[in-house]
Parts: sequence; structure tokens; C-alpha cells
Amino acid sequence: MARALAFAWPYAKFCIVGGLFGRTFADWCASVSSVDGESMSPTLDGHQAERMLVEKRCLYTYDFTRGDVVVLRSPRSHREVLVKRLIALPGDWIQVPENQEIRQIPQGHCWVEGDNAANSSDSRSYGPVPLGLMQGRVTHVVWPPQRIRRVDRNMPEGRIMSQ
Amino acid sequence: MGTYNLLWSIAKRNVTTVLLGITISDRCVNIISVTGESMHPTFTAADRVLQGDFVLAERRCLEKYEFSHGDVILFKCPSNHKELFVKRLIALPGEWVQLPGSPKVTKIPEGHCWVEGDNAARSLDSRSFGPIPLGLVQGRVTHIIWPPSKIGQVERKMPEGRISQI
Repeated sequence: MARALAFAWPYAKFCIVGGLFGRTFADWCASVSSVDGESMSPTLDGHQAERMLVEKRCLYTYDFTRGDVVVLRSPRSHREVLVKRLIALPGDWIQVPENQEIRQIPQGHCWVEGDNAANSSDSRSYGPVPLGLMQGRVTHVVWPPQRIRRVDRNMPEGRIMSQ
Repeated sequence: MGTYNLLWSIAKRNVTTVLLGITISDRCVNIISVTGESMHPTFTAADRVLQGDFVLAERRCLEKYEFSHGDVILFKCPSNHKELFVKRLIALPGEWVQLPGSPKVTKIPEGHCWVEGDNAARSLDSRSFGPIPLGLVQGRVTHIIWPPSKIGQVERKMPEGRISQI
């Protein structure tokens, strides 16, 4: 028994340290998650079982830029995680497309929208979301192999007015 | 060569310890210092980090979002993502909460909760910014571990007659 234990111990130690390292890396640097739903098509496609690389380092200083594709917790349901495009940052004035209203984003909030406006539940229905819900930024699509590519920053024109 | 081996074994041990520490503080339990007077008298009103009460914030409750009324929770401020707030959880989704000093009753929307400080007179909480998304919650405060005179469990306490389930 003691010999078996002595034999297994280095492997167990290797697995534990590897697990810890992987967890920490996924929490603090980058992780891979799958895309689900149609709200971000054609940028990200849920039907192709795409996997995306989510970068977490932007959370240290919250250096998000308008047009980034971001991952955030849903303000309506804490169990859901959403992928949307960041349209406006605190202090920006944004024009809501449905009605001709122009509103200012409050401090510590941002405005997110899906690329597929017709099929997306986003800030147009629940208003600005707190920046504290941010979980990371999507930088690349990593799977399937024929669809590997960068996810570009892309900003719809004429939507915001910074003052 | 001997020096190299020695350095390598020390580095390996340190890296493992740091990783273990980060994992525990991220996923299990974290120690933070409470400042400000909003939770007086549960926590001492202090304006500097070192004078404040040190508390244990449990994070395992986040996996299933198991919270009860009266829990003291830790959450990111909705209007400033860099700040962490400690308040008492008053109402959960679907409940009606009565604002103190007014007959108005608000319904907590799905995925939100209502938080208030124990020191109602000096607290910035849901009474000013409304219900907060549950996604902002970062943990639950369970114990005070410093100063020695206050060591003990943080009790679940619920102001009476504030909520009604309809």
C-alpha cells in the first residue's frame, strides 16, 4: 500500500498543480467558451458550434473600447452569460434606434447590443448594464478549424455622441 | 548544478503556494477589510483599511446563488465597477419591498435583489440606486476575524415587516 502510494504521489501532485494552474489561467488570463444563440450572427455563429477565446486581462483595468465584443452576465438572470457588442461607455450619449430618443449612459454603466438586431435581447430592452457584470472580451474564434479567425472591433456609425 | 536544483525546488514550491492561495481566494473564501459607516453597528465605522473590521467573505455560495434574506453580502457597486460594497440582503426576485418612510411598494425584477445598510441614515444602497443585478454579487460575509473583541459569526438579521410575497 505504502509503495503504491509512493508511486502514485508524484502523478497526483502533478495533476493537482496542473489543475490549479489551469483554473487560475482560465480565471485571470483567457478561457474558451462556446457560442450559443443567434444574437451575434454573422460575427459569431451559434449553429456552427463555434468556440471563442475570451480574454480576461481587460478586467484588471476595465480597458474596454467601443466596438469590442464582450462577455457579460445577464442583468436579468445571474445564471446566464451573454455575448454582445459594446456600443457606448459611461458619459456617452446614445441614440436608441427604435424610438428617436437620445439618452446618456450613467456612470459605471455601458450599452450593449447584438449584431443581429432583429433577434437579440440587449440594452434596447433592458437599458444600460453595470460594468461590474463584465466577464471578458472575445478576441478570436478558435474552433472549428476552418473558421479560425480574429474577432474585429466594429462600431456602427453615427450611434453615439461623446461630449 | 546544485544551486540550480535548489533554486528550482524553491521556485516550484512558491508557485504552487501562490496558485493555491489564488484559487482559494477566488473560489472558496476571501479576507477583506470593511470600511465606511454604512454597516454600523455590525461592523465598526472606520475610514481607513487597517482600522476596519477584517471579515471572511465566502464565495462558494456563488456557484448556486444560495442567498437568504438577512445575509450580509459583498457586491460590486452598480455605478462604479471598481468599488466593492458590503450590505444586507433584504429582498430577492419576485418579492415586494416597502420603502421605509413612504407607503410605496416596489417589486424586485427577475435576477435582481434589494440591499440596504444597517445604518440607514448613512448608507448608499438600493434606496438610492434601486434593485441591483444578482450578477454583481461577489460573496457572502460569514465571520468577523479581526479585531479580537469582535471575532464571531455575522448573524443573519432581517428587519421586520419590510417585504411581502404576493
